[in-house]
Amino acid sequence: MRILVTGMGGEIGTRVAQYLEERAWADEIVGVDFVPPRRRLRRAEFRRIDPRDRDRLVGFVEDYAPQVVAHFGVYEPASRMSPASAAERTELCTVAALSAAVRGGRLEYVVVRSGLEVYGPRSYHATVPDEYVMPAPASPYGASLLEVEVAAARLRRRHGIPVAALRYAPVVGSHVPSPLGRLLRLPVVPVPACADPPFALLHPDDAALAMVRAIERRHDGPLNVVGPGAATPWQAVRLGGRVPLPVAPPLWGAATRGVEVLGAAVAPHVVELLRHGRVGAGARAVEILGLDGLRSTQQVLRELFEWADVVPIVPAREAVA
Amino acid sequence: MSPLQALDYGLDPDRVTHTDSPLAAARRRLGGRYPIDPFGFDPHLSDLLVPVVTAVVRVDVGGGEHVPAHGPATLVSNRGFGVAEPAAVTVAVRRATGRRLRVVGASPLPFLSGLTRRLGAVSTSPRDLAGVLRAGHLVAVPLAPTWLRTGAGTPPLPLMQAMTRAPVVPVAVTPGGPLGTAIRPWRVRFGEPVVPDPGDEPGDPLAAARLAEAVRDAVADLLGRDRRPSAGTIAGEARSGRGPDRRE
Repeated sequence: MRILVTGMGGEIGTRVAQYLEERAWADEIVGVDFVPPRRRLRRAEFRRIDPRDRDRLVGFVEDYAPQVVAHFGVYEPASRMSPASAAERTELCTVAALSAAVRGGRLEYVVVRSGLEVYGPRSYHATVPDEYVMPAPASPYGASLLEVEVAAARLRRRHGIPVAALRYAPVVGSHVPSPLGRLLRLPVVPVPACADPPFALLHPDDAALAMVRAIERRHDGPLNVVGPGAATPWQAVRLGGRVPLPVAPPLWGAATRGVEVLGAAVAPHVVELLRHGRVGAGARAVEILGLDGLRSTQQVLRELFEWADVVPIVPAREAVA
Repeated sequence: MSPLQALDYGLDPDRVTHTDSPLAAARRRLGGRYPIDPFGFDPHLSDLLVPVVTAVVRVDVGGGEHVPAHGPATLVSNRGFGVAEPAAVTVAVRRATGRRLRVVGASPLPFLSGLTRRLGAVSTSPRDLAGVLRAGHLVAVPLAPTWLRTGAGTPPLPLMQAMTRAPVVPVAVTPGGPLGTAIRPWRVRFGEPVVPDPGDEPGDPLAAARLAEAVRDAVADLLGRDRRPSAGTIAGEARSGRGPDRRE
């Protein structure tokens, strides 16, 4: 089976490639991204192509003619790039890679990375939305993820190709460049003054495993992939031994600018999470993809906080002097 | 396995196992070491408030053996205006089975919403009710409130479809004092579970309507028995061999 992993340079994309290398049915694994993979890969091949170089990306994918596309070319704002750049790369990579994969003529299955951000702030109709709740994103990242799902669903409609959209809870881990993870590790963390809504997290290894299982089982349709349990902003801050800074609703703009000065860019979808929470019903994914051992939100948080702080190393010359 | 059972910190989100000393509880709160479920339920905070609630809302429990010791079920009870009946059912379930109870009817107001959810309330959304049942919990669904607590109110029809997936236990809650006053302990009587017809499709609207009628009749019957001296008083229960389990 010929598999294309877009966004292989990210933490989860690299992990997906590693999991695929362990599967005998994955004969050929090829990945593209604008940065190289974050770990050593044994069998998988990598091509460094920036999604903004559309012609090169389209040419490569069309020539490769994948049977399966694992689409991780979805970039979170304020993780490794500015929100505008993330939205641009996500759109270009999605449209170019998926359309070229269809033109390759062998495409059998597509699985795309999406997120709980597509549901927007929790509504009175469902506090914990399942896959049947109509998406209504309120943040630019949520809208970007929904566009990815819609672009992939077009392949199902026009070409009859099964498409899965994995709606991940925020993926946080010690090696994942995530704006939420960065924010929670600041010494002082802004939290809502008048609320403490629950949010769920997902471990990067579980996110990668879910993608591989979706390919194995060829699930068609959206699935929420969510770590069991939840946490709240106040609780998470105390768990990490940080100082909570209560922020009243009108002051969130000033608070995010202050946090950016401290070195953690905060995107609107992160503010939305802190103010309104972000949870989803993940029981279907556990059942359909066989994800029994998902790490809980609390475990993901503990792992994040157990990661060592950055300690400046005394230069050798100073040490000698 | 319920997704919530994967939580740690030694607290079971479905069952009361132990309670911390005040010092240990304060340390736990300050350190953030307590579980939260996706609906916002905080079992540790709930445990801390239970002594206060049980002191204020005293209950006599009857038919506690009808409340499932494991697995999901819906408890449908009558109610008046206010939160007295849901609080009485919560205390009664805790005493009868040691299980925690979720109550449908979280406040939609911004600050109160978060607070009530912390204590186990869930919204009146069929999806949320189905989600809590799927996670294996006990959920209380009050009938529509009645003036002066005189009978069983209208069943919450939009929620009934979600309730066709698990047993439904009718519950009658009556104030112990004369003229509906709570001078004496509240009487909480659990009836035999109404099990949805296995032949019905889960979520079938007709099956849900039948279930709604059956449950309302069961609650009305329990309330009627409670008001008839021969069958509803403690003496009457003693004759039928089903007296109150315990009394505080």
